[in-house]
Amino acid sequence: MRTSTRLAGVEISNWKGEPDSLSRYWSEQPIVLVFIRHFG
Amino acid sequence: MRDRIEDIRALGAELVIVGNGAPSFAEAFREDQNLDCPLLVDPELRAYRAAGLRRGRVEVLSPRMSLNAVRALGAGYRQTSVEGDPWQLGGVFVIRPGGDLMYRYIGREAGDHPAVDDVLEALSADAEPIDEGEGNPWAQVLLGQALSRVVDPFIVSSFDRTGFRIHSLTFRPDDIEVDLSGHRCLVTGANSGIGFETALALADLGAEVVLLCRSAERGEQAAERVREQTGNTRVSVEVVDMSDLGSVRAAGERLASHPVDVLVHNAGVLPDERIETADGLELTFATHVAGPFLLTRLLQSQLEKSDDGRVVFVSSGGMYTRRLNNEDPNWTEREYDGVAAYAETKRAQVVLAKLFAEKLRGTGCGVFAMHPGWADTPAVESSLPRFHRITRNILRTPAEGADTVVWLAACPRLRGESGGFYFDREERRTHLLPLTRESDKDRRKLWKLCVEATESSSGDRLRTAG
Repeated sequence: MRTSTRLAGVEISNWKGEPDSLSRYWSEQPIVLVFIRHFG
Repeated sequence: MRDRIEDIRALGAELVIVGNGAPSFAEAFREDQNLDCPLLVDPELRAYRAAGLRRGRVEVLSPRMSLNAVRALGAGYRQTSVEGDPWQLGGVFVIRPGGDLMYRYIGREAGDHPAVDDVLEALSADAEPIDEGEGNPWAQVLLGQALSRVVDPFIVSSFDRTGFRIHSLTFRPDDIEVDLSGHRCLVTGANSGIGFETALALADLGAEVVLLCRSAERGEQAAERVREQTGNTRVSVEVVDMSDLGSVRAAGERLASHPVDVLVHNAGVLPDERIETADGLELTFATHVAGPFLLTRLLQSQLEKSDDGRVVFVSSGGMYTRRLNNEDPNWTEREYDGVAAYAETKRAQVVLAKLFAEKLRGTGCGVFAMHPGWADTPAVESSLPRFHRITRNILRTPAEGADTVVWLAACPRLRGESGGFYFDREERRTHLLPLTRESDKDRRKLWKLCVEATESSSGDRLRTAG
């Protein structure tokens, strides 16, 4: 399975705690998706 | 990367950041870093795992960490408190519309960062996507086989995420690079967890997929997610309660009016207390054994007509602990134990798969059973909360749990095979303990029990079947 398909299926939230979806960010433009180690 | 955000935007892209702390930490981080790009949070590390990112003390406390820390200090970065999982490493991906992966960087140790120019190059107009179906070199396969021999004797290191990563070194990527257009696949319990990931993967391969769910609302939400993520519109929902034989019968009759190529029995329950269904059956037995037995029989003629039909029973590694129990499948003679009932019915599924394989021999339809290892699914979290709390950092993703299901449903090399029990794309033995072995007579008795249970509206006959 493609990385994007796996990521699209993950439940995730935005910084406000509202449900969000990774796939909507690359639906219309390319994205640089950075996973940081931790906040702080 | 944040410092080059304008360069990223000049190329028509956006920077999206994912962190693993709570939203409250994210808010402070966003203000502190003055971010104006999307910032997402993944405290459960699900996206991190789906992306294949590393985690571990050895990786974080590596000798190079000190050097990377000095470099960061020199560049003006100051570490405040650690807010999130301190052992999780990061990574960078470039994804373009349509889902093509243009760049991938998996962090190997703390302070590890890709060259930003490499990332920007992946955004250029003439960049080529990464071929995610690249083959495994023979050295990688040999390494995977050697490591498997080390971890497989131990359940924890075999069933967990580490086990999947080791076993997957031996996978042939082209095994499920197939076009399932024209195939119709049915998946029970498909609104979440392994069932959802199975439906998603089969739709991604072009199949028409029917999600069999108890709840119309949850089923439709799941179906919509599958359509959105795959672009495949031939995804529908059939409302059916696998524990209710009337519901199974009605759904089966509707579904049998069209071709069926793949049937995945994934729906599962693990109740704390004994619950008796309207048919007089214990709930676990009804959901895992009687319901799937009936549905398979109702769809058998369509499966036999398929050019390459497949039936997959999603069992559990817990079945290794129990022997087939035909004497009291309804738990009327014993004090109820939900975990034991679950494991016994998962054992029964493995036996049923073999029995159906015998019945369908020569028809071109293969029947298989498998277990998914330890996967992080909503069902595990709700049914086994303590287990989930202890193991959640080593659990497989639902997609990893579904991998062998999808492989059994789609891999062309399995055409003509039938009756095996699989884990991580390898056929495995079905007994680890001598006392769990059943006789051929026991297996025939299970079949008879299922016939009588599905032909009777009362569970009483289960006690007298000989």
